[in-house]
Amino acid sequence: MSAINRPGPWQRLIVHLLVYVLAATMILPFAWMLSTSLKTRSDAISETPELLPPGWPSEWQWHNYLDAWEAVPLDQYYPNSLIVSVVVTVVSLLHNALAGFAFAKLRFAGRRISFWLMLATMMLPYQVYFIFAYIICVKVGYVDNYQAMIVPFLASAFGVFYMRQTISSIPDDLLDAGRIDGLTNFELFWHLVAPNVRAGIGALAIFTFMTHWNSFFWPLIVIDSKDYYTLPLGVAELSSGLYSDSWPIQMAAATIITLPMIVVFLFFQRWFVQGIALTGVKG
Amino acid sequence: MLTWARETISGWSFVAFPLAIIFVFVALPTVAGVGLSMVEWQPDGSVAFIGLRNFTHAAQSPEMWRALRNSLIFAMVSVPLTVIVAFPLSVAINASWFVGRTLMRTIFFLPMVISIVAIGLLWRWVLESSDAGLLNNFLDQIAAGLHSVGLIKSVPNEWPNWLGNSGWGLTTIIMVSVWRNLGFAIVLYLAALGNVPQSSYDAAAVDGATGWQTMWRITWPAVWPMTFFLLITGMITALQVFDVVYVMVGTLPQAWTDVLNLYLYREFTLGRFGYAATIGVVVLLLTVVVTSVQLLWLRERGEVSA
Repeated sequence: MSAINRPGPWQRLIVHLLVYVLAATMILPFAWMLSTSLKTRSDAISETPELLPPGWPSEWQWHNYLDAWEAVPLDQYYPNSLIVSVVVTVVSLLHNALAGFAFAKLRFAGRRISFWLMLATMMLPYQVYFIFAYIICVKVGYVDNYQAMIVPFLASAFGVFYMRQTISSIPDDLLDAGRIDGLTNFELFWHLVAPNVRAGIGALAIFTFMTHWNSFFWPLIVIDSKDYYTLPLGVAELSSGLYSDSWPIQMAAATIITLPMIVVFLFFQRWFVQGIALTGVKG
Repeated sequence: MLTWARETISGWSFVAFPLAIIFVFVALPTVAGVGLSMVEWQPDGSVAFIGLRNFTHAAQSPEMWRALRNSLIFAMVSVPLTVIVAFPLSVAINASWFVGRTLMRTIFFLPMVISIVAIGLLWRWVLESSDAGLLNNFLDQIAAGLHSVGLIKSVPNEWPNWLGNSGWGLTTIIMVSVWRNLGFAIVLYLAALGNVPQSSYDAAAVDGATGWQTMWRITWPAVWPMTFFLLITGMITALQVFDVVYVMVGTLPQAWTDVLNLYLYREFTLGRFGYAATIGVVVLLLTVVVTSVQLLWLRERGEVSA
C-alpha cells in the first residue's frame, strides 16, 4: 500500500487499542472462569471479587476440580463423549471423502441429480426433521443408547459437499495416469486423492469432532438415562440441583470440558481456519 | 459402454451409504415432518389427520407470536450486529501495520470452539445478579468512580437482572451470541480481504482517500459477497437458535426469551409431536424465504457479470 493513505501513528495506536480491548473481552470471561474455579465458595461470592484467587499457592482450591469431577460425574461422561465423537468422526470421514471423490471425479449415471438433491437437504432446518428422525430412532431401538448419537451422523451432506469441493481441485491428469497403471477407483482414492487433500480431510475431521463433542440438542432429545450422557448434558445439569449455587464447582467443570477443545484448537488452528474459510468461499 | 456401466456401479458403491443415511435421517423425516404438522399426535401414539388445524391453532396462539417475534428480533439484530462489528475489526487486523494479527485471530475464534454449555455457565456467572457477578461489580466500580468525580448524583444500588424476563434477557442473549460468532465472521472476512486486488487500494490512495474512506468505499463493496453470505447463513442459523437460550435462561415460557425452537422443544417433550412439527414447518418456511432472497441475488449477480 502506498504511503498516502497510511494512517498516522496516533490513529494506528487507537485502532490497536480498540482491537485489543475487544480481544480482552473475549479472554476475560475465561480468565474469570479459571479464577473462580480455584476459589472457595465464600471468596467467589465476595462483594470485592479479585481476578487472582487469594492465597497463592497454598490456598488455591485445586480440590474443586476433583469435586466437579465427582459431581458431574465426569469419569462416566468423558468416555461417552469420546466414543461418540471418535466413532462419528472416523467413520463419517471415510464415507464422506469417498462419496466426495465419486461426485468430483467419477462420471456415473445419476450423479448430477443425486448431488443436487443432497445439496438441497443442506438448507433444511433440523426443526422440521428431528421429530420424525427421533420416531425412527425409537422404532429401531436406538434411543437412549450410543446408536442414536452415532448412526444418523455416519455421513453428512455437508461433509460430502466439502470433500467434493476439496477433491475437485486435484488435476484429472493425475487420476488418468493412475487409471493407465490399472488402479481401481478405490485405489485411486486411497493412493492418489487422499494424500493430496490431507489438509481438507484434517479440517473436516476437526470440524466434525468439535461438532459432536459439543453437540447438545440431539443428545438432549434422544438420551434419558445417565449411562449414556455426554459431557454437555452432564455439565448443563450442574446449573440446577445440588450445585446450582456452587460457582467454583461449576466453573471447574466448565474448565474441564473446555480445555481439551482449546488444546485441540491451538494445535490444529491452521486446519481449523482453512476449513472454516473454505465453507465460506463457496458462498 | 462397459466402462460407463462399471463407473456407475463403482460410483454408486461410494455414494450409496451417505445418500442412504441422509435419506433416512434427513430427507424422509422432512417429508414426514410436513405430514406430521397436519395430524394430531396423542401421547398414546394414536394419530388423527386434522388438516391445517395445527396451523390455525398456531396463528391464534399468543405463545406462537411471541416466540416468532423473539426469534425474528434475535435474527434481525444479532446477525447484522456481528457483521458490522466483524468487518472493521477484520480490516484493522488485516492491515499491514497491525501488530499481532495471528494472535487476534486465535483469540476471537476461541469462543467458537467451546461447548455452548460451558459458555452458558460462564456467562451466567459473569452476569450473576448479586454484586459478586463480574459485570455488576465492574459497573459498581465505574458508577462509584463517576460519582466521586461528580459526574453522576448517586450510585444506583441495583442493576438490571441481565438474564431476567425483560427486554434485557433477549438483549443479553443477543450480545452473547455476537460475542461467540464474531470469530467465525472474522476468519471468513480475513479470507475475503486477502482476495481484494491491491490495484483497488492503489487507485484509492492516488485519489487521496483516507483509511476510513477506503474501508467503506473500496473494501466494503469488494467483500460484499462475503457479507451477504454471512448475513444469509447467519439468519438461517439464528432462526434455529436453541442452545444458548436453553443454557442461559432455561426452557420456561418467558415472554422475552422464548424463541421458536424453545417453544417447539417444550411441545415436543409434552408429546405433542404434530403441533411441534407445525412449529418446525414455520421455521422451514422462514428459511425458504431467506434462501430465496439469496438465490434471487445470486441470479441477479450472475446476469450482471455475464
